[in-house]
Amino acid sequence: MIEIEHLTKCYGSFQAVRDVSLSIPKGQVLGLLGPNGAGKSTIIRIVTGYLPPTAGRAAVDGFDSVTQSHDVRRRLGYLPESNPLYAEMRVVEYLHFRGRLFGLPREDRRRAVERVIERCWLSEMRRRQIGRLSKGYRQRVGLAAALLHNPPVLILDEPTSGLDPIQIRETRHLIRELAGEHTMVLSSHILPEVEVTCDRIVIIARGAIRADGTVDQLRQKAGEAQRYVLEVQTPPGDAGVREELGRLPGVTKVDALAADGWMRFEVSAAAGTGDLREALGRVVGERRLPCRELHRNTGSLEQLFVRITAEAEAA
Amino acid sequence: MTQTIAIARRELLAYFSTAVGYVVLALFLLMSGMLFSLTTLHTGVEATMRSFFDLSFFLLLFIAPAISMRLLSEEMRLGTLESLMTCPVSDAQVVIGKWIGSVGFFVLMLAPTLLYLLVLEWYSSPDYGSIFAGYAGLLLVGGLYLALGTLASAIWPSQVLAYLVAVFFWLLFVGLTSWLPRFVGDPWSDILFRMSVEQRYSNDFAKGVIDTSTIVYFASGMVLFLTAAVKIVESRRWR
Repeated sequence: MIEIEHLTKCYGSFQAVRDVSLSIPKGQVLGLLGPNGAGKSTIIRIVTGYLPPTAGRAAVDGFDSVTQSHDVRRRLGYLPESNPLYAEMRVVEYLHFRGRLFGLPREDRRRAVERVIERCWLSEMRRRQIGRLSKGYRQRVGLAAALLHNPPVLILDEPTSGLDPIQIRETRHLIRELAGEHTMVLSSHILPEVEVTCDRIVIIARGAIRADGTVDQLRQKAGEAQRYVLEVQTPPGDAGVREELGRLPGVTKVDALAADGWMRFEVSAAAGTGDLREALGRVVGERRLPCRELHRNTGSLEQLFVRITAEAEAA
Repeated sequence: MTQTIAIARRELLAYFSTAVGYVVLALFLLMSGMLFSLTTLHTGVEATMRSFFDLSFFLLLFIAPAISMRLLSEEMRLGTLESLMTCPVSDAQVVIGKWIGSVGFFVLMLAPTLLYLLVLEWYSSPDYGSIFAGYAGLLLVGGLYLALGTLASAIWPSQVLAYLVAVFFWLLFVGLTSWLPRFVGDPWSDILFRMSVEQRYSNDFAKGVIDTSTIVYFASGMVLFLTAAVKIVESRRWR
């Protein structure tokens, strides 16, 4: 549905997007994840036809976003990053205005406006001036405007930024509902955001794709390097446990931290070592040490995200 | 076309939802009404609206830029340009729609002055031909000023800057074409005179003459400024 091929965008001498290629099939909900300034919004603006690429191309439903911009725009529902709206207009007025811009005939327009007002829970606010709405309601107005012409593709740039936790939950709920009906691209710098709503996650840092896969695939990737936590009571001044843990096969590092009479060991193991929990348990058992914790940290997506973006920054 | 009208309509309504629209409207009507009653409403004075048209020309130098200053500047400042430009509308539709909206506001601003005509009709028999020509001239001058104002607001995201630049442009232009011809040699003074908005306006329209060359003059000026504005908006794509 969306094809992005070798996309590059420069602002002056600054390369905001470097050779990004991405293919998004029909019906997929894709999360573009990356720190602020990674190039997410630039990619989105090129796809919507708002900005032209420096090199490469983007196409929606087979239409080129530069040369067939109007065909692309008719197929897109787009919620820009800051959700810009005309503060002086009333909600219904604004939606009708958008309907006219999309060339909907009067009767269709009236039906479409009623449909999105209901869909985005705006019924009580329909006569309210947009400038007097709370941020959460304004976000719904922006979403309603994006949905108005019932586009096959929805592009939402940071749809929950600046909302309070309850509004975030409501917006996510709405996005999940919409996911079944549209091909969707959702950008965010917050991981849980895309983790709960997207089929596929693409991590972007410094203008390039750093990871691409389903939530499970990425989680496996993140879990490659494993960490174990072991909390035992050791005799004072005894360094033997730490040494023994360090000798276990595959262990790369052992950190020890003393707290209220207990020693907390954090054991890192290289990728592909297999499960070390049993071996750790044996060390504790042989020495008959009081133990109150032993567990494995499967790497979370958060760690992967942090690691990838940190690597990109350092490069 | 539907899109252009939709944009013009939104623009026109926006004037009446902010204070600026009402303030401009009130100031214009106050000034012109005062002048009308001070200069024209006397016994023995000709029943024309000549002084109203002369003053309006002068007031427009300051009022037209105030009407046009927000057109594109505000869209850029608020970021609404992005959601507008990702709808299936062309840059030209946006620019022309906005200009039409501002001309619409200008027409509504002039409409109440038709009351002056009623007053004249009440006391004497005015010359409708020259009054009609005067209004036509005022519309053309307004359209031209607003077209330049649209261009200024396409260039600068700051409304204040868009306003000041438009005012200074017209002061300079009117100054150059009205006073300079007196000091320069013959081929130049004639050319400058032909370019003068004031000459075109007060020699033709205010006297009741509508000349084809004058209509061409105003129309080409509007086309020039609006085309430039469209090009500026398009330039966002390669900047």
